[in-house]
Amino acid sequence: MEALQKIFPANDFALLLLIIGMPLLGAFVNGVFGKRLGKDAVGLMALSALAVAFLGSVLAFAMLHHAQAGSESPARFVWHGWQWLTLSRAGEASFIHAGAGANSFSLEVAFSLDALNATMALIVTGVGFLIHLYSAAYMKDDPGFYRFFAYLNLFIFSMLVLILGHSLPILFVGWEGVGLCSYLLIGFWFDQEANARAGKKAFIVNRVGDFGLLVAMALLVRYAGALDWDGIAAGSRGLMTEVRIWDGQLFAAFLPDVITQPRSVSAATLVGLALFLGCAGKSAQIPLYTWLPDAMAGPTPVSALIHAATMVTAGIYLVCRMAGVFTLSPAAMFVVACIGALTALFAATIALVQRDIKKVLAYSTVSQLGYMFLGVGVGAFTAGFFHVLTHAFFKACLFLGAGSVIHAMHARIHDTDASQDVSNMGGLKKYLPLTHATFLASVLAISGMPLTSGFFSKDEILYSAFTRSVVSSNPTTFAWPASTGVVLFAIGVTAAVMTAFYMFRLYFLIFHGSFKGWRIVAGWKEPQHDPHHAHDPHHHHHHHSSGPLDGPEPHESPWRMTLPLVVLAALAAFGGFLNAAPLHITPLEHWLEPLFEATVDPARLHNTDPDHALMWPLLIPGVAAFLIGSSVAYYFYVMRKSAPATSLAERFPALHQLLVDKWRVDELYDELVVGSLEALADAAVWVDRWVVDGIIARLTALIVTVWGHLLRLTQTGHAQAYAATMVVGMFGIGWFVAVPQPKAIISGDAQTGQYAVQAAPGLGYVYRWDSDGDGTYDQEEFGTTSSVTLSLEEGATRDVRFEVKNAFGRTRTGVYQVHRPKRDATSVVLGRDIHQPVPGGAAASAPLTLRGSLR
Amino acid sequence: MNPLASAIVETWPYVLAFVVGAMLPRRQGRMERFALGLVALLGVGFVRGLWPGTPSAVEPAAEWPHLLSLIVFLPIVGAVAVLFLPRQAPRLLRRFSMGVLVVDFVVSLFLLATPMTSGWHHQYVAEWLPSFGIRYHVAVDGVSFWLVLLSTLSSPLALYVSFGSITRRTKELCFSFLLLHGAMLGAFVSLDLFLFYLFWELMLVPMILIIGVWGGSEKVKAAYKFFLYTMAGSMVMLAAILYMVWSFKQLEGYYTFDYLALRRLLLSEPAAWLCFAGFSLAFLIKVPMWPFHTWLPDAHVQAPTGGSVILAAVMLKLGTYGYLRFCMGMFEGPAWQAGATLAWVALLGGVIYGALCAWRQADIKRLVAYSSVAHLGFVMLGLFSATQAGIEGAIIQMVNHGISTGALFILVGVIYDRRHTRLAAEYGGLAKVMPIYAALFVIFTMASIGVPGTNGFVGEFMVIMGTIVSQPLGRWATSQAAVAAFGVILAAVYMLSVVQKVFFGPLDNPKNQGLSDVNPRETMALAPLLVLVFVVGLFPNLLLDRMHESVSSVIGRYVEGRVAYQEHRGQPGAGLKPRKGGPTESGYPEPDDKPEPTPALEPSVAVRAEETP
Repeated sequence: MEALQKIFPANDFALLLLIIGMPLLGAFVNGVFGKRLGKDAVGLMALSALAVAFLGSVLAFAMLHHAQAGSESPARFVWHGWQWLTLSRAGEASFIHAGAGANSFSLEVAFSLDALNATMALIVTGVGFLIHLYSAAYMKDDPGFYRFFAYLNLFIFSMLVLILGHSLPILFVGWEGVGLCSYLLIGFWFDQEANARAGKKAFIVNRVGDFGLLVAMALLVRYAGALDWDGIAAGSRGLMTEVRIWDGQLFAAFLPDVITQPRSVSAATLVGLALFLGCAGKSAQIPLYTWLPDAMAGPTPVSALIHAATMVTAGIYLVCRMAGVFTLSPAAMFVVACIGALTALFAATIALVQRDIKKVLAYSTVSQLGYMFLGVGVGAFTAGFFHVLTHAFFKACLFLGAGSVIHAMHARIHDTDASQDVSNMGGLKKYLPLTHATFLASVLAISGMPLTSGFFSKDEILYSAFTRSVVSSNPTTFAWPASTGVVLFAIGVTAAVMTAFYMFRLYFLIFHGSFKGWRIVAGWKEPQHDPHHAHDPHHHHHHHSSGPLDGPEPHESPWRMTLPLVVLAALAAFGGFLNAAPLHITPLEHWLEPLFEATVDPARLHNTDPDHALMWPLLIPGVAAFLIGSSVAYYFYVMRKSAPATSLAERFPALHQLLVDKWRVDELYDELVVGSLEALADAAVWVDRWVVDGIIARLTALIVTVWGHLLRLTQTGHAQAYAATMVVGMFGIGWFVAVPQPKAIISGDAQTGQYAVQAAPGLGYVYRWDSDGDGTYDQEEFGTTSSVTLSLEEGATRDVRFEVKNAFGRTRTGVYQVHRPKRDATSVVLGRDIHQPVPGGAAASAPLTLRGSLR
Repeated sequence: MNPLASAIVETWPYVLAFVVGAMLPRRQGRMERFALGLVALLGVGFVRGLWPGTPSAVEPAAEWPHLLSLIVFLPIVGAVAVLFLPRQAPRLLRRFSMGVLVVDFVVSLFLLATPMTSGWHHQYVAEWLPSFGIRYHVAVDGVSFWLVLLSTLSSPLALYVSFGSITRRTKELCFSFLLLHGAMLGAFVSLDLFLFYLFWELMLVPMILIIGVWGGSEKVKAAYKFFLYTMAGSMVMLAAILYMVWSFKQLEGYYTFDYLALRRLLLSEPAAWLCFAGFSLAFLIKVPMWPFHTWLPDAHVQAPTGGSVILAAVMLKLGTYGYLRFCMGMFEGPAWQAGATLAWVALLGGVIYGALCAWRQADIKRLVAYSSVAHLGFVMLGLFSATQAGIEGAIIQMVNHGISTGALFILVGVIYDRRHTRLAAEYGGLAKVMPIYAALFVIFTMASIGVPGTNGFVGEFMVIMGTIVSQPLGRWATSQAAVAAFGVILAAVYMLSVVQKVFFGPLDNPKNQGLSDVNPRETMALAPLLVLVFVVGLFPNLLLDRMHESVSSVIGRYVEGRVAYQEHRGQPGAGLKPRKGGPTESGYPEPDDKPEPTPALEPSVAVRAEETP
């Protein structure tokens, strides 16, 4: 261990580079050269990349554990890469907070490992490896094999960047990277329109969340002055700034006082809500959950890896990571907890009636993610994160089990929807023993059977929801209502009953009863075998449409598919002892708590039950939920062979249809959001064409054209008309020259009282002046003197008169009034001809009044 | 370490890059392999050469004054030389013009060796028309030299792809491209307003020819529209230039068109606003910003692929560059005051409205053109924010837009050459028959919509971060940052819609079933852009390091100039800011026979008349 620490010192922990780099290498090699390498080499590359990454993670985890043991503060290993970008602060508005005073902060490409993400890295690479192994068999006949593994490796790379990134922007690289891989993998069988559309929907809905994350980063830059974990913690004082979000100025006269009151919230609340929008997008919470069920269009291993075990839990990871910021705002945490609880309940109701095996699991995932947010929302970060862990085990196992079932169904049913419909299954217990056993173990875990992993994690969340809350040090800000704990607990238990019911419903429908997919004929052989669509659900082969099918016995999957199932089922069954709080076996809590204690202000976490007196009593509703849900499902689907379910559906047809249609939220969004956006876009196109282009291009062109046509009328081509026009013009010019123009410019300085009147020159002009204002000309004779100077007393006004005679002997007189203001006068008035303004004027910086007029 | 070992350590990344690049193509073809290997090698060389702390290969002290003149006039001389080459030898014409452009690119790489400290670099000043104060004054700083490099990179690629699809009138094509290239470069490096205006107008002519001669079905109309829009802006800019020169003459007694002199002018309030409006109109039309953007989709749709690439990659940048250099450099007060309002125009009219329009386009090229409007909205927002992060983000975004939108235009040209239609509805499922093409399109789409790790993200991110802390934007800064971030969603909506329509779904149009994947020419044209997507995305600091000082001096001047403008505001006449000296004023024109300062009683002194009723 010491030798290892020499090679990988804590502040230059290059092992992370290996962990992150191997999947990237795998993605590059498979993506670029995969077609030439062949399937075996592609599989080997992908698997070995994951294996190395997993071993690296284990090693890193061990080293971290070793380092943690010897220190008080939470240990952290960092690898510093390079400066990514620099945000200098020149020209910025002054920063409000006092924490960060640097002139610039640079964002580094740096990765760090601490207790939280070391655990997460183990899940990602470990479960990732198992699912890669599974996929190598599941996808073996697919022509896009190399592409699949390139995407899958790229996903693991992005996910590792997400969890190991040392700052929010690096996390964001991974955050969008996993979204991109999810997009590519959902639309993996892109030649079906629906798959491509589902991928696009996932990407766009996730982008709505990413918008939140971008806004959160911008707010953090402004109020905390940093984006890396240490900097955010250091600058969190700035997050207590009150931000005016509504100043009430807009239309204040027309709106009631309630609206026009200025509103402020703390920056932490804004940041928390914006971050949570990102989390809701990635982790499929209300209102952004709709993409996840559609994402089941991707291959089943993808659903297991991305849409159950790893990517969708990124939101919980982010809340845990930013726990220090979230806990600054009780309002934001309240939103997180409530949305989590509501999502858990809401998604569970939809899962009750779905018939597509993957859809049930998808809604179950949404619901379980809701539980996790409920946990972290009430401040029980360890409990929430523990559920991430156990959920990764049992949900990955369930999805892979579903894949195994679908794989078996594909022996005769190649249509995607039909092969996943539980009404075509039944009785598979007999044919798929391993799948059955592992599936059952996971169903028990997710339903919360005592001592399984799901029991411990879910019940700790429920217990925390009842007892914990987040409080503020500032009494004027939002505080949680007193009944929050009870309500959240009740919602959680209700959802738990439903969870147990729908999971057992699924289990009984698949594995019990009789097989309904086709008539099993011993020794059956496929008549015309088409070699390349064994796992290609995108080929339409409606064999089943022509009467009942014949087919062989459904067969168990190969070992590469069942081995991951067994491992995951074992983890699902026994993983709970990582944090069995009621039994006081809590290694995970010991492992994670120092980290949360270091980042979260303990004064903000409120616990009504510090000595765990309520822990055992509060287990009872949880266990009851499991018993009620599972036994009702047993009664409905095993004892009465679905009859009660059918009769219930017949008694409440509207409600049943509403649930089958997933509360029609997709339709609502289509109408409301997509529809209005489309209308807006159509309006924009119309405006662009007819208003913007219409005014700026067409209208201008029209004006020019009209003038062109008008002026063309004058261009008749008749020389006489031209000559006549010319004569008129000549006459006009001649008149102007023949009449003398008595114009003058007055300049001067009020300080000295010296003014000059300068008469305009002209052809053969001679002048005579009356500069002293006595009404008679200074000299009777006309002379060439074109200007006079005069000096005035303060406040004095004088009319300067002059007469101009031109070469034709015509004369005209001009009078200009010159005024020297008193010292206190401030107005600046320049000489002004009554016919037209005087060109130029005086350079007047001091108070000065000059008036002129032509009389 | 012995020299052999260190040589191996030094060279292995290059060798590896070359080998990987050369292994990429699946088909045979030495030329393609070599070219891709070379591109990969150059990519590594770019990163390693610019890495902080790397000793420069070229001696930095030797700043050759004629370098910019060489870069600008090489293509112009080449264009003239093309006129003397025989029309009957298109191969010769192509090779000659490509050779000129490639040499120009290589020469421009020497700019990278210059440490871009504050002030002007490679400055060269010569008297041209001394009686009017017109000088040949060229220089670059940390802002313009990236745009010079962007141009010298884009033009060869654009010409190269043009040769793939255009076979008629090769001589005229080569002439137009070379002249256009020279004029654009000239406009980027000119520090004399007359010279700038000259190049600004000069580049119009070849562009109109490119659109009008080799364009689509409505090419003449589009060329007219492009010309009239740009010309209208240019005219008011010319008026503003002349007014400023005249005002300067009134104050200092001599004519000069020099930017360094004219930016000291403190015009009276209405005059400053009018001149600002004149310059802004010219630049905002060029950008283009709402509502002056409608020439752009028409021009792009009708222009041939190469023309679109140049138009998007370089020509639009002259608008944004011009706004930064001239509007913000000379009219700080009005620019500051207008900034907040114009930022809303850039956001709502560009980022949001442009994106919404792009979404509803049936023509792929039109869609990409509208996406340009949205992208340049980001650029302008960054400029209006006038923060270090915002302006640097805007410059990065200018480069990015050149890379990713240029590539997208090349990619649209690929299917247009094969099917002669750009309607998205005509396609579908192309990923099946053109997998490499589809992969490239998706990668450049991701770059365009700003997925982090690609170049697009860096620019958008920096602009948003710069906006929220901006002072000129005032109390709207936070909302504007949020709206800008919202634009990121819309970008995904419109780009992914077209990707889905073109590449995914069933391959049901029989005309598409025989389409061939990208050919070596298209691959080689796209390869450098692909490398740059990731180089800029992962190592933006290589670019940013070389613009920090220039940008902070731009901002410093902007803030000071605004203060000077406010102090000057009550006064009727024009004034001059004090000369600051320092490296950014080197090359200031001061004639030897400068007359004495004019006396106060001189009647010709410019005065603003404030009338009382």
